[in-house]
Amino acid sequence: MWDLSAIHLFLLEKATCFLYNNNICGFVYKEEGVLKSLNGLSFLINGVTAVTWQMVLMWFIGGLLMWLAIKKDFEPALLLPMGFGAILVNLPLSGVLGNGGIVQWLFEKGIVASEAFPLLLFIGIGAMIDFGPLLSNPRMLLFGGAAQFGIFFTVSLAVLLGFPLKEAMSIGVIGAADGPTSILVSQVLKSDYMGAIAVAAYSYMALVPIIQPAAIKLVTTKHERMIRMPYNPKSVSKTTKILFPVIVTMIAGLIAPASLALVGFLMFGNLIRECGKLENLSQTAQGPLANLITILLGITIAFQMRAEVFVQTGTLIVMALGLFAFVFDTIGGVLFAKLVNLFLPKDKKINPMVGGAGISAFPMSARVIQKMALKEDNQNHILMHAVGANVAGQIGSVIAGGIILSLARLWGMM
Amino acid sequence: MLNWNLLTAFTSVMGNVQNADISKSFELMGLGMLGIFIVMLLIFLVIVVLNKTTKNKKENR
Repeated sequence: MWDLSAIHLFLLEKATCFLYNNNICGFVYKEEGVLKSLNGLSFLINGVTAVTWQMVLMWFIGGLLMWLAIKKDFEPALLLPMGFGAILVNLPLSGVLGNGGIVQWLFEKGIVASEAFPLLLFIGIGAMIDFGPLLSNPRMLLFGGAAQFGIFFTVSLAVLLGFPLKEAMSIGVIGAADGPTSILVSQVLKSDYMGAIAVAAYSYMALVPIIQPAAIKLVTTKHERMIRMPYNPKSVSKTTKILFPVIVTMIAGLIAPASLALVGFLMFGNLIRECGKLENLSQTAQGPLANLITILLGITIAFQMRAEVFVQTGTLIVMALGLFAFVFDTIGGVLFAKLVNLFLPKDKKINPMVGGAGISAFPMSARVIQKMALKEDNQNHILMHAVGANVAGQIGSVIAGGIILSLARLWGMM
Repeated sequence: MLNWNLLTAFTSVMGNVQNADISKSFELMGLGMLGIFIVMLLIFLVIVVLNKTTKNKKENR
């Protein structure tokens, strides 16, 4: 049995000797050494005195992101780590930054060196997606293309606002409603606004139920929203489901090589799912892999939320442009559906809201469209059409990101 | 043809607007949307072909 009182006395004696020898509490004994001794304690307040108002603002922003994640259920898996990370990197003399700092290391190795985190997350996303509704109704692919219009429209607007083209390209991709693609494109193009772009991409993805109904109502009539679309799915063979990811990867690789990493990893995840022989790997990709990467991705992106990088006028404009891109992606899809309707017979018309589902926020966007359809007509079931367009949006967004990178490379911007 | 040089002097909230960037952004819009639709059309054709060929195999069996 240890004699606790003896240990306590021993430690107390050692601590007293240490403080006295180091002149830390020498003021008890030496009146003239008071100031000198207080200087010895200054290490305790170095952090406090180094706090800036920008850091305090970032603490509030971090708190806001965590509040949105916990209380409002806005993309909690991403916004919570990002919110906490924003506080972590904005504490003065933060030990998570600099050489050997874990957040900086994660950022340099996981994002800068190879874009590993967003790409690995794509394996998980690919394993989660069932392309069945799209394969049985492939014309929905066109909406996945049309609904990327907001990306390019926003690039032009950002340029008109004075952003360099490279920054404008990164900002436009927020409209893809695809967090990993936004992060990857902004990283490859070395954007100064990567933190703001990631926050905007994930925040607006969470706001799909608010943004999309407003945007759709702006450009459709009640009559259009009530258009019914019968669903007669064709059977899709297993061979098609297996060959689809392989062929899409080859097409994307041959036409837009810069999109190959994005499309390839997405389709690799889907191949694991569809091959029917790797159920364990498929479950691992959908669950543990995606979860692990998500935990690290959020806190890693927070590296770009350091006050000196994040607190600037440009950040607010980037957030506003992201919203604009999101709205115009939806509008682009809806207007394209209305255009297609001009050439279709009366009984084959497409509900234009389905076009709005051609963004990457899956499956939230499809659900929102179905909810809107039911609100107008409680017997109007367009969910599976919307799911098809939504899945096409997943492909469309990575293709759009890849095309932007291809053109940036062609124009000597990277 | 719109003379982009008129915009040379335009200064926006984030700084000077570059002529070349404006025309490139419109070029990006055109090429980007065209590129996406080409890829989507190719994928569409692949799906149609796959659906037809694999369906035929099933029916033959």
